Order: sequence, then C-alpha cells, then structure tokens
Amino acid sequence: MTIQRDITAHIVAEYLPGTPASELDPSYDLLETGVISSLDLLRFIEWLGDRYDIPFADLEISPDDFRSVAAIEKAVQRFAGVTAPE
Amino acid sequence: MMRWSEEQQELREAIGAVAAKLGADHLERDRTGTFDRDGWQRLKDVGLFGLPFDPRHGGLGKDLLTTVHVLEQLGYGCQDSGLNFSVSTHMVSTGVPLQRFGSSALKARYLPEICAGTMIGAHAITEPSGGSDVMGMHTTAVVDGDDFVLNGSKAFISNGSIADLIVVYARTGAPGDLAGITAFLVRRESPGLSVGSPISKMGLRSSPLAEVFLDDVRVPRDHVVGSKGAGFLIFDHVMKWEILCGFGIIVGEMRRRLERCVEYARTRTQFGSVIGANQSVANMIVEMRIDLETSQKWIYDTAEKLQSKADVASDIAMTKLVVSEANVRSALNAIQVFGGYGYVSEYGVEKDLRDAVGGRIYSGTSEIQRHRLASLMGLNRPVRSA
Repeated sequence: MTIQRDITAHIVAEYLPGTPASELDPSYDLLETGVISSLDLLRFIEWLGDRYDIPFADLEISPDDFRSVAAIEKAVQRFAGVTAPE
Repeated sequence: MMRWSEEQQELREAIGAVAAKLGADHLERDRTGTFDRDGWQRLKDVGLFGLPFDPRHGGLGKDLLTTVHVLEQLGYGCQDSGLNFSVSTHMVSTGVPLQRFGSSALKARYLPEICAGTMIGAHAITEPSGGSDVMGMHTTAVVDGDDFVLNGSKAFISNGSIADLIVVYARTGAPGDLAGITAFLVRRESPGLSVGSPISKMGLRSSPLAEVFLDDVRVPRDHVVGSKGAGFLIFDHVMKWEILCGFGIIVGEMRRRLERCVEYARTRTQFGSVIGANQSVANMIVEMRIDLETSQKWIYDTAEKLQSKADVASDIAMTKLVVSEANVRSALNAIQVFGGYGYVSEYGVEKDLRDAVGGRIYSGTSEIQRHRLASLMGLNRPVRSA
C-alpha cells in the first residue's frame, strides 16, 4: 500500500465514515473544512508518529504539514527516518 | 484482571508501609493548608519519585502499570491527599515530559534531582483568562539571541509555591495555531519569575496552589522540552500520565474509605443491631465498592493500553470521568454512612468530599472530557462528503 492510500484509508475510516476512499481528493483541506478538528489532530499525529516511526515532538512541525492527504504524505517522506535524540 | 509479579507486589508493599506512617496529622494540615515537608522527605528516602524514570538518571525504571500500581498504594496508605496530589504532580509535570522529550543534556542535568525529590516539579499551563482553553493561552515566548524571553501569568499552579523547576507552556506561534505552543523547563530562581502566595481552596489544602508570573524571563534555547511548537503533543502525553497516576492514587484513597465504612457499619449499633444490617446503609457501601472496582478497572485497562501504544484518546477521557465522578459519589456515601460523624471535621470524612470535588475540575473538567468524547464520536461534525 502506498503512503497516500494508507493515510487516506485511515482518515476516511476515522473521520469520514461512509465516504469511499476514492472520493477523498489528496488536496482536500482537512483542517479548514473541519474534517480533522484540533482535538482530532492530536490523535491523528499520534497515529501517524506510531505508524511511520516519526518523533513529531522532537521536530519543528506546522499545521500545514497535516492540511491535506498530499501534505501529510510529503511530511511523512520528509520526516521518516528521523529518530528522537537520546 | 491484572496479575502482578512478586517484584511489583514487594515494591508496592514497601511504599505502602512508608505511606501508612504518613498523614497522621492530615486534619491539622488541611485546616492550616500546610505542605508536609517531612512526609516528602520520607517518600524521597524510599525512592518513590524515581519510579518510572530511567535508572541511568537515578530512576527505578518501572513501567507505567507498575508505577500506577505502587501509587495506588500511596493513596491507600497516606491520608494526606494533598501530599499525594503533590507527589503525582511532581512526577508527571517535569519528570514525564523530560524523560520522553528532553534532550540528553536536560535529562542528565535535571532527572536525577527530580528522581531524588531534591528539586520539586510543577507545570504552568492554565492562565487566568482561560482554564480549559489551553490553545487560547496568552503567555508568549520570543526568541532573543540564545534565549527565549517569556512573558505572561499562569494560574492555579499545583506545587507552585514549593516548586524548584517548572515546565512552562507558552505561545511561540500565532494564536490558535496548534503548533504554536512550546514547552520550556524553567528554574524557580530565574530572574523575572515570581510566585504568588498560596491560594486557599476547598480541598487538597495541604498541596500548595499558586499563581506564577513571568516578566521577561530568559530561558536558554537548550531548555526547550521537545522541539519548538511541539508543546501540544507534550501536553497531551503529560495529561495521559497525569490522569492515570493522579487518579490511580485516588483509587487507593477510595479503597481506604470503603474499608473504613465497612468497619464502621459492622461496629456501629443503632436500635439493637449494627447499621450494616440495614439494607439502605448496606446499599450505599455496595455502591462504594462498585465505584471503586469500576474505577480500578478503568485505570489499569487504560494504563495497559497506553503502555502497549494503543490509541487511548477515548479511554483517557472516560477513565478521568468515571474515576472523578465515582470518587465524589463514594465520598458522599461515606458521609451518609457516618451520619453526624461524617459531617463534622474531626473524623476527616467530610474532608474526603472536599478533596474529591477538585478531581472533577483539574486535568480537564468533566465537561471537557464529555466534549472530547462527543468530538471523538464525530457528534460535532455534520455529515459531509469530501
């Protein structure tokens, strides 16, 4: 499964139940439209960090990194492999 | 049902034995609002504060479940719930974020003192203008050379007046920006940091509560915990530990209260028989047991899930709600079982209720927990398609 499909599947299952994954456009603004609220975002980042082994709390992140499926995919590619300081 | 190893049980009993010797003067401390430095020293000597922390930095290296299991026994043994509250605050406010997110230099410098209890910890999150609205905080941190400069004020800071180290959450980004909050480790003696007088309150009176003022406080960049902008992630992690450790202690307090009520109901006689023989009294005590065991199950089930890295967003909110509400009900039932003796201060039963009420407010009010659960259920989101 590609990163984009994995992320889309998770977002649809958790935040857009009933929506076919194929209908979620990768550029759709998940934050502005309220699909992912600020409370949800915490939980989503936690999931993403566990899923791709990314220590988000040790990185300088921006809400824009989580604005759309495409942005999330880019963030994963950018941060994956970064490990937390000892 | 949790099964504990011999080692976990021994540790719990060892801490419990010390805890049982504390708090003999808890009623006087409650009356005067005095923190028990002596009791702190005794808990320090037994190594309690280092329970979940890395042995390389002076901790005992125990996992979350063991930590909660041992802390429950502190709550059971020590009648000074203010002291118990201060212990939990100390461990989770500074040690927990430092261990998980701190740089190796910060850990090496501060964790040994946190584990030893020679430096007391607190965190400063809440502000006078907004208790539950963490994202709306006004305290700012601005880069100036090698430092951040902090300005603002923080309210309702547990351990505020006794803390040597404070994790201050401040705004480094635009208001409302989720990645705009940063966590800073600030020393009490930092120029510009001042602490108000202890604030008198309804319960947990022996745990000092104070305001903290930050007036151009310079904090070195290397005292940022985690990265700039990661404060909300750190806060979320700390809250999970705060709820499980703090309310784990409360489960112990509920157990002690239940045993006291059972003992009383089996010895107090009215109209020629023990009051426990009256179904209405027995029912209240049965309710207390159900509240206790339900709370216990939630605490350990959620701790186990968190430890196995499962998603506990809903579980944490439900655990906090269930235990805090159960504690208030249990304390009210105890007063009713004790009757007039429960209502007067001398027996310490009414104090339990005053202490319990705070649990519905700190660590996220009951209303916030319900709101969070509703949000997690998608109730505040209209059905939409992408």
